[in-house]
Amino acid sequence: MTLVRRGVLLLALPVLLFAAWWVASAGSTDFYWPSLSSILAAFGRTWTWDRVQADVLPSLGRLLAGYLLAVVVGVALGAVIGSVRWVRALVEPLLEFLRAIPPPVLVPIVILLSGIGDRTKILVIVSGCVWPVLLNTVEGVRGRDEVLSDTCRTYGITGPLRLRHLVLRAASPQIVTGARQALPIAIILMVISEMMAANEGLGFTVVQFQRGFQIPEMWSGVLLLGLVGILLSLLFRAAERGLLGWYHGQRAGRREW
Amino acid sequence: MVAVAARAPRVTGRPVALGVLGLAVFALALEVGPRAGLVPIRYAPPTSQILVTLGEQVGRSAFWVALLDTLRTWAEGLLIAVVAGIVVGVLLGSVPFLRAATATTVEFLRPIPSVALIPLVIVLYGPTIRSTLVLVVYAAFWQVLIQVMHGVADVDPVARDTARSYGLGAWARIRYVVWPTALPYVVTGVRLATSVALILTITGQLVIGSPGLGKEIDNAQQSDAVRVVYALILVTGLLGVLANLATRFVERRVLAWHPAIRREEVTPA
Amino acid sequence: MRRTFVALLAAAAVLATAACGDSSDGASDPAPGQPDKVNAGVIAILDVAPIYLGKQQGFFSERDIDLTLTTAQGGAAIVPAVLSGEYQFGFSNSISLLLATSQNAGLKVVCNGNNSTGVDGQDFAGLFVKADSPIQSPKDLAGRTVAANTLKNIVDTSVRASVKKDGGDPAAVKFVELPFPQQVAALDAGQVDAIFVVEPFQQAAVDAGARKIASSYVDTAPDLTVAMYFTSTKLLGENPDLVARFTEAMKESLAYADAHSDEVRDVIGTYTQIAPEVRAKMTLPKWPTEINTASVDALAEAAVADGLLTRKPDVAGLLP
Repeated sequence: MTLVRRGVLLLALPVLLFAAWWVASAGSTDFYWPSLSSILAAFGRTWTWDRVQADVLPSLGRLLAGYLLAVVVGVALGAVIGSVRWVRALVEPLLEFLRAIPPPVLVPIVILLSGIGDRTKILVIVSGCVWPVLLNTVEGVRGRDEVLSDTCRTYGITGPLRLRHLVLRAASPQIVTGARQALPIAIILMVISEMMAANEGLGFTVVQFQRGFQIPEMWSGVLLLGLVGILLSLLFRAAERGLLGWYHGQRAGRREW
Repeated sequence: MVAVAARAPRVTGRPVALGVLGLAVFALALEVGPRAGLVPIRYAPPTSQILVTLGEQVGRSAFWVALLDTLRTWAEGLLIAVVAGIVVGVLLGSVPFLRAATATTVEFLRPIPSVALIPLVIVLYGPTIRSTLVLVVYAAFWQVLIQVMHGVADVDPVARDTARSYGLGAWARIRYVVWPTALPYVVTGVRLATSVALILTITGQLVIGSPGLGKEIDNAQQSDAVRVVYALILVTGLLGVLANLATRFVERRVLAWHPAIRREEVTPA
Repeated sequence: MRRTFVALLAAAAVLATAACGDSSDGASDPAPGQPDKVNAGVIAILDVAPIYLGKQQGFFSERDIDLTLTTAQGGAAIVPAVLSGEYQFGFSNSISLLLATSQNAGLKVVCNGNNSTGVDGQDFAGLFVKADSPIQSPKDLAGRTVAANTLKNIVDTSVRASVKKDGGDPAAVKFVELPFPQQVAALDAGQVDAIFVVEPFQQAAVDAGARKIASSYVDTAPDLTVAMYFTSTKLLGENPDLVARFTEAMKESLAYADAHSDEVRDVIGTYTQIAPEVRAKMTLPKWPTEINTASVDALAEAAVADGLLTRKPDVAGLLP
């Protein structure tokens, strides 16, 4: 597929939807559903380089810190839980219990324990992001090929070597799926973490616009969140290609295209 | 690769006992912590006080109405999201053209927090169960969709080519090749979607004011009824545990042939 | 397997159509002789006790209004619902209404909500510091952090008014947004230097040993109108008779509540989970039937001075 064809394919649907939105909302007088042109005008006005520096960059920093911490903790815990059957049985109901507590309800508890600074916001992000990574790691570790497992045992490969080359590598496609799932959750939690006990940040700004009835500005912030999502997923895909190159190569070798 | 029907393995006593033990240890830690002064007891009451308050709440009819509303919203939203996610996911995953065309749109829409949709949803449906339902479906759909797409893409090329050379039509291919490969991913997706749906249900009720447990939690917070808040959080957590038990049960039946399940139930050691 | 799949699809389709199917039950044209169905959006706080009491006493039903009260978390949930017609009336604090008006939201106040008691030191809200804090009076808050439940709203405006009145520099006070339920704990833990809370959290602060240094609502303006009931300009244009009847019923409710504080404390127990002992000790707001227009004006000017608004909004156009 040529580059031009691929570019057109990637952009066709978004451009179409965008155009449809523009036409459908032109001249709208609805307070909460303003016209796309006014939202775009607000976008240009609001997200100046100063504001990006003051609000967006700190948020992104916390987002990345929380996300990476969640991945590390999720993979570590997931590998242990997935490998040892009785650990899984012991811990699973408790994890399901904690996972079910909605973030807006959890945030006050985290504030109580950890105060009202950056650390709390990062912990809030971790508290939500860790679950897809953890779950997928557990499944990936559980579902590894028995033949490989037996081969390792026959050859006497144990310990860290086994962990790295058998357990984690076999589980890595699912771990990566989990990490992918965790990305949009990280963004959502970044917003939620800035709804309380905050005085700067991207999510904070969007929520303040909502509370101050500045609706076109609010929607421009929502657009920005979507763009951040795209940017992060592109970065992720680049990283994934590096990590899972062996897997894709293995599959591609057997494919025609 | 046809799914082999295995006898549904019985749940042995030991995993259940261990699970209960895990919860019990946690409950004990939360009893001792506040009393030992590790956390302020006024704002983080010990387990025993929470349980007493829960007993009081259970006597209120408003509690049961709220619980029923929560369960209803959760179940409906989850069902719609799962079915839509599977259908769209299989479609997008199997047809490379569609997947490439929708890739940017999906990546753009996914991270938009459901909480940002709240004003829109209130304008459309008001503070009703339907508003929260929209939030739940929106959030849970993406969980299922992404997992399904990954699962469909993970099909073993050899198996797929074999099916094609044996002349299996598109529907047969989906049923015998694509679906079994994708199934473990789908099950994980359903499990993730179940918890996301519960979280969004409660969150929606909390912020919009739709009837349900979330609204009761908000009411208790505004009333500075700290123990009631924790009692309701306890109920929410228990709902999560029950949901997990249910999905694990379904998983055992549906994925009985998969190495992960087989190894755990059949291997004696 | 396939049969279950098809069954699931069918079930989902049915559910989806049921869920997305139309049934906007707002105030539809009543059949002649039937009372108007009215939805009012309120917040589950003590300020709205009069409307609950009024409904209980039948002030609304005797004016052919079938009133349903729905509680929401805040103005962010109530205003869109009023604008779209899901609610006919809503409850919101004065500054939120001024902010909405400055953005041309299309809202119109119909009647008073609640006022401060006007008595310094005995209001239903207060500015608190920790018992052993070096802060003695509002002007010492310069450079310190105060918790406000919503930023750029009535709390920080009022606290700045206290600081100004005490001779301090309001711009030097730092605010952090923290919901009321978390504020007393944060003060105890030293995460913030001062908090401004309303009942029942004022009781919680007193119980925790905090020291009150100001009654900021009183400092902002005498007998400040803290919150009001409002509707959309659209409904006012379409059905002015309904709005007039609602306003009458509300005024009767406000007067009744102002005169029967015991019944107020009882009715608060029906829509909140405030403990009986707290309900008995809470300071109640005042519920005059008329809006204190001068105080809303003062609030608007303070908002402009503090930079919340660039221009003074059309206060006269907003108020009835």
